[in-house]
Amino acid sequence: MIRLFNTKRGLLALLAFATIWFIILYYFVSAASDIIASPTFEGMASQVFGALGVFALLNWDVAEFSIYWLVAVYFFPMFAILICSDQLCSDKQRGTLRFITLRATRLELILGRYLGQVLIISILILMTILATSFLASVRNIDLFYSSLTLGFRVWLELLVVVLPFIALMSMLNAFVSSAKFAIVIVTLFFGLGPLILALIKYQFGQEFYLNLLFPGEQIGEIFAQASSQTNHYLLPLVQTLLLLVFSYFAMKREPI
Amino acid sequence: MSIIDVVQLSKHYGDKQALDNISFQLSQGAPVALVGPNGAGKTTLFSLLCGYIQPSTGSIKILGENPGSSALFGRLSALPQDAQFDPRFSIATQLNFYARLQGMSNAESKKDTERVLDMVGLSDVINSRPSELSHGMRKRATIAQALLGTPEIVMLDEATAGLDPVNAREIRNIVSEHAHNTNFILSSHDLSELERLCEQVLYLDNGQLKQHQALNNDEHTRYLTLRMQKNHDEFSTKLLQIPSISDVQLTQDKEYLITIDQVETMDNMQFESTEMQLLKMLAENNWHYAQIINGKTLENRLF
Repeated sequence: MIRLFNTKRGLLALLAFATIWFIILYYFVSAASDIIASPTFEGMASQVFGALGVFALLNWDVAEFSIYWLVAVYFFPMFAILICSDQLCSDKQRGTLRFITLRATRLELILGRYLGQVLIISILILMTILATSFLASVRNIDLFYSSLTLGFRVWLELLVVVLPFIALMSMLNAFVSSAKFAIVIVTLFFGLGPLILALIKYQFGQEFYLNLLFPGEQIGEIFAQASSQTNHYLLPLVQTLLLLVFSYFAMKREPI
Repeated sequence: MSIIDVVQLSKHYGDKQALDNISFQLSQGAPVALVGPNGAGKTTLFSLLCGYIQPSTGSIKILGENPGSSALFGRLSALPQDAQFDPRFSIATQLNFYARLQGMSNAESKKDTERVLDMVGLSDVINSRPSELSHGMRKRATIAQALLGTPEIVMLDEATAGLDPVNAREIRNIVSEHAHNTNFILSSHDLSELERLCEQVLYLDNGQLKQHQALNNDEHTRYLTLRMQKNHDEFSTKLLQIPSISDVQLTQDKEYLITIDQVETMDNMQFESTEMQLLKMLAENNWHYAQIINGKTLENRLF
């Protein structure tokens, strides 16, 4: 938290984040929600959302959040991978972790860093949610209350989506020695992983459900917001738990 | 009371054997020196004792606990070699944080941070970031973190390496001042420094424990180490004319190791008389000595 909000480098990263989201909200969310909310373009919006398979989003009370959701549900997992890529690496490399492990267990270290990252990401998501609510309220002040309640629901859903991504980076941080290397590995994991799974399926001719190991596996289903099934939330939570348990056991034996 | 028990400890990195089946026991008391050539396994042993790495085989107990156990937090502290503070935070912020992790309150941690920084002479840079400090100052700040709270064991790996003589002496003073209530384990290549501070020595060579002994001279044969200002012809021959001196060896340039035999049969007065005879001979021949050391130097003991 302090690294992000109280250091020059952290504040610069925060400024970059704010700039990106200003562009997304002002030029994309605001403009698109005007179109969706306009009775003139109602038919066109239905066609576009129908083609994308996200027709259910048109039923949301606040149009800004429909567009926000489409962007955020893919943006934040990728952002979490980037921003959480250095949970332990630089401290390990510098030897700072050696000072800390004389005063904290490795479980405390893994959980502390993980929860810290969750807190940071949750604050950043909340900031974008509040900005979206503000945009909606500026367009129509009557939407203020409904944008807050919908915003809270979206915040919670996004948080559940990013949890296993942060845990995946925690696990990688237990092994690798640099944040860049962690990003390279995670890129290969998501890039080559599906290909390997397809090869396994082709080779053995049956489904092993290994795709469930990939964080974000449920995003394709929740993207449309067509239905709310328990496994949409259960899967990321179970993935998070397993990744954290694995991180702990990896960290326990890892030299520091 | 035993503070560290190491039994049949081995550590290998792939094919390389860093530590080979070493066992030793350290008791509460005077500082312990950990010496050995580069690559002997000193830092590996430090890392194992601190719980940074896991042994391949064998066991370690520190104050009855496994290394890395939460029961050792605040009781064992260390200066790991080359470990650095986070460059983004001030020294005070980081020391406060470590003190808080040791269980101190916010007020206590601030007070203790000031205390340890004062001990290492860094009170005036308390709010500086590590990047604003010189190498020596950063080293002293990391030593300060090892002194937070009231640790029972403090392990310092190459604590004075890279420090100027004045600050190195300050660190030695800190060790000797606190040696009565804290057990220090020191690793250094400066043998004269270890000789001043330590009474026990662990000598590692090629991953094996070669010696584990007390430095104080308890042998039957007594030794004197004599450092002369110049070399002189016939020096050894003349020294051997003193009846109680049985051997004189030139250990290095202008340094002689003198063996005084049958000390167990001599009373204290006779031993002193050997030294008196020696001094008398030096004066008569106008030979100027630089230093006389009672016993062998650590260097002569080990190599």
